[in-house]
Amino acid sequence: MINILSGIDSTAAALNAERVRMDIVSENIANINTTRGIDGKPYQRQQVVFESVLAEQQSSDVSGFSPQTVKVARIEKDPRPPIMVYNPSHPDANAQGMVAMPDINIHEEMVDMIAGSRAFEANLAVIKNARAMAMQALSIGKP
Amino acid sequence: MIDALFNQPNYLAAKKMLDVTVLRHEAIASNLANVEVPNYKRLDVSPSFESQLAQAVASRDPAQIAAIQPSLSIDTSASSGRNDGNTVQLETEMLKLNQNMVEDTLETQLVSRSLLKLRSAITGKS
Repeated sequence: MINILSGIDSTAAALNAERVRMDIVSENIANINTTRGIDGKPYQRQQVVFESVLAEQQSSDVSGFSPQTVKVARIEKDPRPPIMVYNPSHPDANAQGMVAMPDINIHEEMVDMIAGSRAFEANLAVIKNARAMAMQALSIGKP
Repeated sequence: MIDALFNQPNYLAAKKMLDVTVLRHEAIASNLANVEVPNYKRLDVSPSFESQLAQAVASRDPAQIAAIQPSLSIDTSASSGRNDGNTVQLETEMLKLNQNMVEDTLETQLVSRSLLKLRSAITGKS
């Protein structure tokens, strides 16, 4: 099938993937102080893993490589152990008065977020240009 | 017989170039979509296309120009400069995107003006 907007498959997939990544970042930041998750343990930082996917196979007479889209292959838990913080008054403190806090570095998350939004913007620019190109193509032959 | 109207080498070459800008746009879209994927290698229009087109245009043979099939290939000249083996660089890619856009404008104008010229020759009106 011919797409009027060239490259829209890749771009749409990328926008989705970056959105998922931002969601995960916001989840990490939101849970930076969560000492008791759904499983009763401190929250574990999550990260997304991106993966290339071949875009719809082109007709076989076209040689060469076909464009690739991207998808979130999986969302993985970061294996780093929780940090033990001394806070005996905390309800989740253990016998020694230590509380297991998620090992989330706010700076790391912010960097991830900025990288994600830059990539998002870049893909938006692709759509914008695809649109302009399509409009130009539609005006061929018009005086 | 009417085909002869649309068989000028310049018109055909402009048409081919227009196809290539669309193809390159797809490649750039793919590159920017995969900017964060480890070991992704950037795609671009095969470098052989330009030489093929130059050769075909030099021969002024419409059939030869029309027979060129541009395709995408992995850009082997792109150096990584990154730790994850990905060869896409955001800034370079954005520049290429805009450059491609300008090229697309040029090619559409060329194609469009050729057709308008024909129309004006046929109707006698501009």
